[in-house]
Amino acid sequence: MVAPAVTRPAVRKRRATADEGVLTVGRSRAGTVAANLAGVVFSLLMLFPVYWVLNTAFKPAEEVLALTPTFLPKNPTFDNFVSAVKAPLFLKDMANGVIVTLLAVAGALVVGFLAALAIARFKFYGRKAVILVVLAVQLVPFVALLIPLFLMLQSVSLTNSLIGVSITYLVLILPYTVWTLRGFISAIPRELDEAALIDGCTRAQVFWRIILPLTGPGLVATSVYGFIQAWNEFIIINTLNSPGKQNLMAWLLQNQTTRGTAWGPLMAGAIITSIPVVIFFLIIQRNIATGLTAGAVKG
Amino acid sequence: MSVVDSPTTRPPGGSTAPHRAPGSHAPRPRRRSRDALSTPWLLSLPTLALLALLLGYPLVRMVVLSFQNMRLRELISGRTPPWVGFDQYTKVLGDSVFWSVVGRTLAFTAGSVLVSVLFGLAIALLMRRVSRGVRLFMMVAMMFVWALPQLVAAQIFRWMTDSDFGVVNYVIDKLPGVDYSHHSWFVSPIQGWIVITTLVVWAGIPFLAITLNAGLTQVPKELLEAATVDGASPWQSLRSITLPILKPLITIVTTLSVIWNFGLFTQNWVLRDGHPEPQFQTLATYSYTQAFGQSRYSLGSAIAVITVLLMLGVMAFYIRQMFKIGEVD
Repeated sequence: MVAPAVTRPAVRKRRATADEGVLTVGRSRAGTVAANLAGVVFSLLMLFPVYWVLNTAFKPAEEVLALTPTFLPKNPTFDNFVSAVKAPLFLKDMANGVIVTLLAVAGALVVGFLAALAIARFKFYGRKAVILVVLAVQLVPFVALLIPLFLMLQSVSLTNSLIGVSITYLVLILPYTVWTLRGFISAIPRELDEAALIDGCTRAQVFWRIILPLTGPGLVATSVYGFIQAWNEFIIINTLNSPGKQNLMAWLLQNQTTRGTAWGPLMAGAIITSIPVVIFFLIIQRNIATGLTAGAVKG
Repeated sequence: MSVVDSPTTRPPGGSTAPHRAPGSHAPRPRRRSRDALSTPWLLSLPTLALLALLLGYPLVRMVVLSFQNMRLRELISGRTPPWVGFDQYTKVLGDSVFWSVVGRTLAFTAGSVLVSVLFGLAIALLMRRVSRGVRLFMMVAMMFVWALPQLVAAQIFRWMTDSDFGVVNYVIDKLPGVDYSHHSWFVSPIQGWIVITTLVVWAGIPFLAITLNAGLTQVPKELLEAATVDGASPWQSLRSITLPILKPLITIVTTLSVIWNFGLFTQNWVLRDGHPEPQFQTLATYSYTQAFGQSRYSLGSAIAVITVLLMLGVMAFYIRQMFKIGEVD
C-alpha cells in the first residue's frame, strides 16, 4: 500500500515541475484565457462566504442589521470580538475544548501508535481482521451511536464530564490515527530494523531509536488532524454535557437558540473558533486526502 | 451486519486465540517466532479494547434497545425497559413520515453526490488547463473552504440566507423584476433544500477537486498529446484516456461522499435552528429528534439500526475497495 505522507511530498515536487511543461499540443491561447477567467471566478465564488464572515464580524451592530448590506465595513470595529469573548461561557468553553481535545489526541496517539506498529511491522494471524475493524469503524455514523453511548456513559456517571467526552473523542479519532500512522511506519525501510537487530539492538531499542524518531513528522501530522476532528465536534458534547461543560462549537450552536441571533458577535466567535483549525489545516493539508484515498492514485 | 458488527465480535473473541501465551512468558523471549506471535496482539489490544468498549458495545446496545421500550421513566429510574419485540420496527416501518424521511435522505444523497462529484471533476480538469498562478489561487481558495469547521460553514450560510438582512436576498433582489427582500428560503422545501445542497456541495468541492486533480497529474501527458495529434477531440481524450485512468479514484471519492452525505446532520440542523421541520428532516436528525427531543430512545435506536443497515452495502463496498488496494502491501 502506498505510504501516505512520508513519501508523497518528494514525489509531488518532482511532478509539479514536470507538469509545468504544460500540454502545448492542441491548446489555444484564447482557451487558456477563458480557463483562467473561469478559475478566478470560481475561486472568488468559493471565497465569498469566507469574505462575508470577515466583513460581518468587523461591522458595528447597526451596520450588520442594515437592510442594504455594505460590502466593506464603513466603521470597522473590534466590538464584536470583544463581546464574543466577554459573552457568558465563551472562555470557559474555550478552555474545555482545549482540555478535551488535548486529552483525546494524546490518548489516541499513544494507543494508536501501538496498533499501527502491529499492523505495519508484524505479519500475524488476524492482521487482516484488525485492519478490517479499523477501516469499518471509521464509517459507523457516530450520531447513530449517540443514544446507547449516552445511556452507557450516564450509567457510570460520565455524562456532563470532560473525561467522558475526552474518551469518546479519543475513540472517534483513533481509527484514523491508526490508519495514518500505519502508513508512516511502513514507509520506514524494514532493512533499518533488521540492521539494528543484527547489531544487537532489542526489539524495544529498535522502536525507541529507529521507528519513533523516524515517525516524528507523521506523529505531528496525525495529531494535528486529530486535533481538528475533536475541536470541530459538537453533536456529542452538546448531547452528553450541559452548558459550562461544552466546547466552543457547542457555544456557537447555543448562540442561535436565543431569540434573535446577535450576528456580529456570532460571526466574530466563529472566526475565533476557526482560526486554530484553519492554521493547522493549512499546515497538514497534504496528508489529509491521502489518508482517505491511500493508494487509489498510483504514486 | 457482518461488517459493522465486527468491532464487537472480533477483538475480544479473536484476540484470545493467539495471545494467551504472554502470561507464561519467560522474562526474555527465547525464540523470535513465539515473540512475534503474541507481540502484535498485545500492541493492538488497547486499540481493540477501546473500540470494542466505545463503539462495539454501544452498537450492540443500540440493537438491544431497539427491541425494548426505553422512555424517560426508565432512563431516570435505571430499570430495565420492557421488551417489546419488533414493536418499534413495525411502528417505524408503518409510519409514512418515516418513509418520506428515507425518500428525502436518499434523494438528497443522490442529488448532492452527483452534483458534487461532477463539479469536483470539472474543477479538477479546469485546474489542469489554467496558468500556474490561477491554479495556485484556486488551490488556496479551496483550502480555506475545506478548513472551515462544518458548523461554522453552516452558520455562515444561515446568516447569508437570513430573510431580513441576508446578502443573498439583497443580491437576488437587485435583478430586474425580482422582489426578494424579506424572502424566506425555508418556507418552500425545494428552496430550502437548494440552500442545504449548495452548502454541502460548496463544502465538498475542495476535497473532491483537489483529490481528483492529484489523480489527473498521473495521467501520462504523452498519451494525451499523441491522441490530440491523431485527431482526437478533447471530449474523446477525456472519455477514452483520462476517465478510465481516473476511475478507481472517482469510485472511492464517490463512495465516501455517499457515506458522508447520507449521514447529513449538521447542515440541516443548523440551518433550521436546531428544530428541523418535518420537510427538512433526514434519517440522522429524525433519529436524534425522536430519541433526545421526544425521549423515545428505543424508537430512535430502531431508526438508527435501519439507517446503518441501509448504509451497509456502501460501506462494505468502500472497505472492499480499500482492501483491494491494501493487498499490494
